[in-house]
Amino acid sequence: MAKAEYKVIGTSPARMGGIDRVIGKGVYGIDLMLKDQLHGAILRSQYAHAKIISIDTSEAKKLPGVHAVITAEDAPNVRYGRSYIDRHILARGKVRFMGDPVAAVAADTLAIAKAALKKIKVTYEPLPVLIDAEEAMKPDAVVLHDDMPLPKNIPADVKVRNVCGFTQVHVGDPDKAMAEADLVVEEVYETKMIHPQYLEPRSAAAQMEPNGRLTVWANAQAPFPVRQEVAKMLGMPLNNVRVISADIGGGFGGKGSGITSGAAIEPICGLLAQKTKRAVMIVLDKAEETISTTIRSGAKMYIKTGVKKDGTILARTGKVIYDTGGYSGFGVQAGGRCTNMLGGWYLMPNAHIDGYTVYTNKQVCGPVRGPGGPQAAFAVESHMDTIAAKLGMDPTEFRLKNIPKPGDKIIGVHKLRDVSLGETIKVAKENIGWGKVKLEKNQGIGLATGSWIESAGPGGGAIVKVNEDGSVTVHVGKIDMGTAPRFGIPVIVAEELGVPVEDVTVLSVDTDASPWDAGTVGSRAILVSGTASQRAAIDARTQLFKIAAGQLEASPDDLEIVDRQIRVKGTPSKTVALSVVATNAHNVIGEVIGRGYCDNLELMAEEKAHGSSQPFTTHACIVEVDTMTGNVKILKYVAVHDIGQPIHLAAVEGQIEGATAMSIGQALCEQVVFDKDGKTLNPSFVDYLMPTLNMMPRIETTLVHGYPGAGPYGAKGAGEIACVPPMACIANAIFNATGVRVTKLPLSPENVLRALKEAGKA
Amino acid sequence: MSVKINTTINGQAVSASAEASTSLLEFLRDTLEMKGSKLCCNTGECGACTVIYNGKPINSCVTMAADANGAQITTIEGLADGDKLHPVQQAFIDTGAVQCGYCTPGYIMSVKALLDRTKKPTQADIEEAVSGNICRCTGYNKIVDAIHLAAAKL
Ligand code: FES
Ligand code: FES
Repeated sequence: MAKAEYKVIGTSPARMGGIDRVIGKGVYGIDLMLKDQLHGAILRSQYAHAKIISIDTSEAKKLPGVHAVITAEDAPNVRYGRSYIDRHILARGKVRFMGDPVAAVAADTLAIAKAALKKIKVTYEPLPVLIDAEEAMKPDAVVLHDDMPLPKNIPADVKVRNVCGFTQVHVGDPDKAMAEADLVVEEVYETKMIHPQYLEPRSAAAQMEPNGRLTVWANAQAPFPVRQEVAKMLGMPLNNVRVISADIGGGFGGKGSGITSGAAIEPICGLLAQKTKRAVMIVLDKAEETISTTIRSGAKMYIKTGVKKDGTILARTGKVIYDTGGYSGFGVQAGGRCTNMLGGWYLMPNAHIDGYTVYTNKQVCGPVRGPGGPQAAFAVESHMDTIAAKLGMDPTEFRLKNIPKPGDKIIGVHKLRDVSLGETIKVAKENIGWGKVKLEKNQGIGLATGSWIESAGPGGGAIVKVNEDGSVTVHVGKIDMGTAPRFGIPVIVAEELGVPVEDVTVLSVDTDASPWDAGTVGSRAILVSGTASQRAAIDARTQLFKIAAGQLEASPDDLEIVDRQIRVKGTPSKTVALSVVATNAHNVIGEVIGRGYCDNLELMAEEKAHGSSQPFTTHACIVEVDTMTGNVKILKYVAVHDIGQPIHLAAVEGQIEGATAMSIGQALCEQVVFDKDGKTLNPSFVDYLMPTLNMMPRIETTLVHGYPGAGPYGAKGAGEIACVPPMACIANAIFNATGVRVTKLPLSPENVLRALKEAGKA
Repeated sequence: MSVKINTTINGQAVSASAEASTSLLEFLRDTLEMKGSKLCCNTGECGACTVIYNGKPINSCVTMAADANGAQITTIEGLADGDKLHPVQQAFIDTGAVQCGYCTPGYIMSVKALLDRTKKPTQADIEEAVSGNICRCTGYNKIVDAIHLAAAKL
């Protein structure tokens, strides 16, 4: 679709809420102040794995200024979880990682609350600690969850322990195909745990209302799932729990997935509010956050591929060991995705991959930006270059040789609709100067591709109200954290209602008023809330036209709205102001309220019939490797993306650049480091290295067009896919520069230098 | 132990008591209830809490509130002139550099201090000026664009 068809779609108007944020008036979760609020604090486990023998809170309770001290005994004995319902809000009987919440306090000041935590005496009986997921799977490993059975789909002859998720990919006859291959390449790749490190700490505030209702203010990505889980944990009906979303200072999936991601701070806070009958607020300290909230899991990936001499891929086999930490969290879903993606997004006629999601004594897997994808892509796309080198083929030619066509299937996707992969490769080659740019000594060029599926999930609604002055108020169930709700959604509503973007206000989520939604997760904001908002705006427009038709003596079908005026198409003199029609609505239908819904069943049927219109991407870079220190500097970085029709252009670019930066961080420096006892060695920002401006190249983003997605106007989700290629892209450039393949992240000076030394190149 | 702090914030004389151990950030956020300066790492590593202290950008989380005695402090709340945004604030909006916006106040203060020092900053000046600020959302492109735009407009 050509851009010219649209008035505002694809432009970059100022973000809604931008002014509040630049003048310091954005009210984020941690900025809230409730009247007479108490301060909550959480006692975290000092052991990565231990039995809780006893907890003595008597001294803590005696401290002046302490209003409540709670442990598992004070909470209903119910558990939460996504696939495996394996976790209590406060540890009961056992702790399974350092950072597991054991008790909580509410006190007059934070200082008193922290002093009270120190007075809680917990007697532990330490148990063996499992840090490595591959060790944890062994049949003689200590069992972390006695009452959690192995997944039902695990073959009976597989003897494992501590596995909570199993995914098997099987296509064709991989053994036979492997035997027929001219070349078989086998490698092992490993990624480390990283923390999403959104800048705003997790917080929750809760207050019991006089009428027995509980109000919770959360900086969570999924207010409705939070409401559901808080209600369940506290034994309250849903209509007595209200969750209000504050402004959110970044989430990246780390604040997604209901209460799982925040290690249940909302129900803990709610429980403290119940006990004290006061308002209570909890703000996590950043170091506490790193050790207790959800993370991107580390994965170990065995990958083996058989190819013909001409570069045709015949078969892939592999195994994924996905470390979900002390509880299942989002690990079953992320591990499953990782397993499917280890099959790649190229033609793959034969494959067998087993994926295991494994419990260890570390913090828990969350749905962090592209869960499972970046890990798999590090293995898949590094491996592609290893194979190309062994074949003596150009890595881009090798990829292009195996690209699927529209209608083809790839692992995990029954049918592709359009395939922009080849075009993204070609544009990335062009933009980076593939084969043309002159590389100096120790410089290398590399490229990696990626794909992503907007995760399946329920739909969601939107309500569009046209006020009597012609301004528009929109309710959606998705929160804004620099994502579609306050970038793309106002653009969509403005497009359909013929008003300036600044006339549209999208409200924050309040579960008492907003339409239900699963949350701003899985690159679904544009798909779900965008579709729903478009339909709601069209519904509102239809109502407006019906009212205006009489006044303009025309058929509703002949009307249009331009610049806040409803007019007869082709007769610009016959017009009535939008505000007049919206006011007249008071006499007829009360108010113009458009309703729209993104129908997930419709989306699935569409995909079943026509195939998946998923996004593809290619990133390419030039690096320089210092062979004395192992330091890698990125000299140039290009990101080429197909995200369908961009709705808000700057927002799309911002998502791509931010996600790329996050994975460049994972590529070069980021990791959560543990000692053998399961203690996090780098919880604070002093030691947890993240990309800063001076280590970042300028990310040169190019969008390719002509591949419409399933979203409104042909949009595709843009929040996650750019996280997929960067690690392999950089590793491939290092390989090109030095001939050394680094198979373990991060590509830090230490790891690169070690690999160079092992290869005799340093 | 409580101490008395007499300081000037955004041109206004402020006098308040705080615990001796209070950081300047806590003094601003909790004592004065000025929430514009953001709390993140609390260890001086991210720049979210940046304020201008006697003309220099500092991390208020690792500065003692008592050090504010007699000082001139500018915070994000003090930049706009009524409804008119400061050019640095406007530039962050115009370039799309405000994603979640949590790092934004800190960046704006660092950049304001830079542009107070030099009207024509080089790329190196810019990198140096915001080397203590972290943004997790933008990948930095649009922040760099905002700084260049603000410099051009001033
Ligand atoms: S909060 Fe002060 S530098 Fe991070
Ligand atoms: S805009 Fe979110 S951290 Fe910078």
